[in-house]
Parts: sequence; structure tokens; C-alpha cells
Amino acid sequence: MSKTKITIEEVKRLADLSALEFTDEELASFIPEFENILHLVDEVKNCDVGDGQIDYPKHLLCSLRDDQVKESLPQEEILKNSPKTKKGSFCVPKMLD
Amino acid sequence: MNLKDLSLIDLAKAIKERKISSYDATKYYIEKCKENAHLNAILEIYDDALENAKIMDEKIANGFEGKLAGVPVVIKDNILYKGKIASCSSKFLENYVAQYNADVVTKMLDAGAVIIGRANMDEFAMGSSTENSAFGITKNALDESRVPGGSSGGSACAVAAGMCPVALGTDTGGSIRQPSSYNGVVGIKPTYGRVSRYGVVAFASSIEQVGPITKNVKDNAYMLEVLSGGSEHDETSLKMDSCNFLLQIKGDIKGLKVGVLKEIEDAVKGLEVEKAYNDAKEFLANNGAQIIETSIPDFKLALPCYYIIAPAEATSNLGRFDGVKYSKRSQNAKDVDEIYIKSRSEGFGKEVKRRIMLGNFVLSSGYFDAYYNKAKKLQQKLKNEAKTVFEKCDVFILPTTTGEAFKIGEKMGDPVSMYKEDLFTILTNILGTPSISIPFGKGKNGLPLGLQIIADNLNEGVIYNVADFIEQNLREV
Repeated sequence: MSKTKITIEEVKRLADLSALEFTDEELASFIPEFENILHLVDEVKNCDVGDGQIDYPKHLLCSLRDDQVKESLPQEEILKNSPKTKKGSFCVPKMLD
Repeated sequence: MNLKDLSLIDLAKAIKERKISSYDATKYYIEKCKENAHLNAILEIYDDALENAKIMDEKIANGFEGKLAGVPVVIKDNILYKGKIASCSSKFLENYVAQYNADVVTKMLDAGAVIIGRANMDEFAMGSSTENSAFGITKNALDESRVPGGSSGGSACAVAAGMCPVALGTDTGGSIRQPSSYNGVVGIKPTYGRVSRYGVVAFASSIEQVGPITKNVKDNAYMLEVLSGGSEHDETSLKMDSCNFLLQIKGDIKGLKVGVLKEIEDAVKGLEVEKAYNDAKEFLANNGAQIIETSIPDFKLALPCYYIIAPAEATSNLGRFDGVKYSKRSQNAKDVDEIYIKSRSEGFGKEVKRRIMLGNFVLSSGYFDAYYNKAKKLQQKLKNEAKTVFEKCDVFILPTTTGEAFKIGEKMGDPVSMYKEDLFTILTNILGTPSISIPFGKGKNGLPLGLQIIADNLNEGVIYNVADFIEQNLREV
């Protein structure tokens, strides 16, 4: 089975999708690592899965709870783990001028 | 009272009968955690543990009866315990304080447990060696030059080294069973949905479960009873009550139909675990079990199937860590985009980034059908193949690992080699079926090997019966 090849442009695109940044050296080192991992997972790409029907567990279908008001975490608790808050909100730098 | 060799069940009984106080037991285990600090299994010993033990002693004196009344317990660092840090062994969540209790924590506290600390793990449970922790490597409890396995390496090491009578782990691809095998202890991945995942930091939601790691099988069955039961907080949990698994331990396996997969006969050839696996078959046959050769033809595809499904789900689950709501924010970010990108790049470790990238690859336009969709169809095919096995067999067996615990650093530079560590454990995560690892045999350096016993969904009782029988009678091999 021939190995799936990956280019530096594709690695950069994946980094963008992942909201991650890498040095040029790190990006380059991803290529052989990724190709080896893809060689492993390519076995799935090339396998026979028959008619390919998926049975989803019945208990996971339409499992909505009743629309009842229940106790929730207080706002100050929710905000406690945020690195920056202001007046009861999560705080980020200005987005619009 | 000598606590060293006391089982979880006997300890719970001794505390209940007030032969020992929860305070003294908790103090003993905290001291063991401190004595074994060099193993780096425990990231934090909770400073209120002794106070909570005192409170439990008062409750017990006033008639409180819970299955874990006063019993010290360790949790993995990805399980939320209100008011305590749950860092997932990541710098990104180094200071994250849980705002609520995971369902498993609530169940343990309701049963009277004293949670004494949190155990080290591979960052976000991604790894097979606990070498991916941002807070240092955990060492194997039996050989400090070797890994404890992962990702629940801290939990398994803590139990094996006598730092607690029971610890919780999570298992997404073998993360309870593989470290249990490497440290010579007992760990179960329950049926998917048996235990609520509410309050457990998600990695691959559709395949992971919380489970107990203990010194012996009966303790494990006892503990799973406490943890089991559906929850309104987790829609994937099965809406059913827990059950008494100990009642299903009969002390007999006569007539039990044990499947052996012909694919495994080939897969184990030449591996360190080959002899132990063959010995297990012989032992079971000699004790009245009927060995049935059967097959899961696509067994070997479970590993690549996992390395598509798990990273795809991880990519989505880890999208929430953005440096805004509850993780460290980069000090170098000037705008919102930079907050996301720089915080994630500085916060996540290498293996986590690798899996996020892989997940985005298999989910991205042009590849989704070829990889993710195909993997989901393959998962169904594997489930169908397993169904035919369970039509003929009560359980089937697999080795847990290919051999003994490997040396620290041995596989860190080669992700694929590390991923292949999960060869025998991943199948049951893909299937959703329960699987236990118990010690069975030794490797070439005298370190423990593990045997998995796997049953159909919700048949943990059958598993515990076989596992306990082996544990009680193994010396007769």
C-alpha cells in the first residue's frame, strides 16, 4: 500500500483549522510523523465495510429532558476560572474599532 | 491494624466495625503517598482529607452506613471534585478549579468515601505511558526505570504501591487496563454507558468510560457497584440502576464458553505475552471451561479505526479550551484570534497537538468520507463480528499488552510505536463492551503481564466471576 503523502501547505492548513501555531521546524517535523500515522489509519480507508449501515444505540435517539427550570451554577462561580472577567462577563481585547 | 495487605472490602468492613478509624486509615495512606513521592503518581494530596476523614468517623459513630464509609480513594486528574484542581496533567488547566462534582465523585461521597488526592496521567488522557504529563513522568511501581503505562498511570501506580486501596481511572483506548497490567493490579473498563461521564473531562466521548483500579477482583466488583448507574446529567449513560456484582462471583467456571480469536493466535506469535496467553487458555480448559475458537476477522483494523474516531472527537472536545473561559491565557496575545491560537499553542503539549491536528485532518473537507465515515462504518462491522462471537461464547480472552512495561523514553520519539501499545485493548472501546485486565503470568524480567476477559454489554458479572476464579486458583497452573 502506497503511503499517503502530505505537504507543508496541508500541515499549515491543519494548524490553522486547529488554532495552533508552530515554528517552521515543528511544521516540517510533522510531515514524516503524520505520514507514518496516516500509513496506519489508511488501512481503514482501504478496507471493505460491506453495506456500511450504522446502528445507533436506541437510547441515544431523541433523548430530550423535560423543559424544567433547575438550579444552575451561580454566575460568579462560572467566571472564577476565567483568566479575565469584567462586570459579570468573560473579557477579551476589543474586536471592533 | 496492618493496612498494607488489607483489601478495599476488608478495610471498609474494619472501618464500619470501628476496628480502625477513617482518620487513621486516611493518615496511613497519605503517609504512603508521601513516602512514594519519587514515583510521581500523585499530583496533589488534598489538605482537607484528614478533616473529611474525621467528619466521616463522626458520621459512622452516628450510624452512617455506606459502602465506602471512611475509605480513602484517589481520583484521576481529569475527574471533577468541587473546589479542587482538575488539571488533566496539562499546563493549560494547571489552575482550573472544579465548580461541581463529577457523578462518580458524588456517588463515592454519598457512599462515604474520603477522596485523598488526584493522580498523574497523560495530558488529556492521550498516551500510553504517562510520559505526556506536563507535571513529570510517573514511574512504574514495580520497576522505576519503566513506565507505569497510561493514561491512568498515576492511578495504577498508586494502587500497586499501596498509596490507596482503590483509584479511579478513565479508559478511552486501554487507559485503565494497560497501566493495570504494567503495575500488576486489576482494572476494568465497564460497558459504555454503565458509568456516567458527567464531570469527566472529555477526550473521545463515544468510547470512553470511568472505571476502578484495585488490588484484587472482588474489590473491583465492589467498587464498580458504587460507580454504576445512569444519570440525568449524561445522556449516554444507560438509564438503569447499579447492581451487586459480587453476587455474580460463583467460584466456578465449569461449562463456561471461552472464545479465543484465531486472529490473536497469529498476533501473539513471537511476542513476550505469547506464553502467558497460551497458559491462560490451558488454565481455563483445565478448570472446566470450554475453549471455542472463534473470530473477529477485522480485529487488526480496530487500532487504525480508533486512531480516526478518537482524534476526531478530541479535536471537537478540545475546541472549548480557548484561553477565555477556563484555561490559561497567553500573555503574548494582542487580539482575540491570538488569544485562541497562542493560548492553545502554549498550553497544549506535543501529543495533544498531534491528535488535534490528526482529528482535523480526518474531519476536513475531502477526507471526511474516506476516513471518519469509513471508520464509523468499520466500527459497526466490528460490532457485528463481535455479536457472532457472543452468540457462541460467554466471554472471550485477549492479552492486555504485548509484553512487560517498557523503559521510560523507549517509545517517546515514535508515536506509531506508542499507538501500537494499545493493539489488544482498543477493540473493546470500539465495541463498547466491558473488559477487565487481571495479572496473568510474568515477562522476561519478572514483571507482570495482563489477561483481558471480555463479555457482551452489561455482563460485567460474568467477567468478574471468571477473573476472580483465575485470581483465586492461578497458583495451581
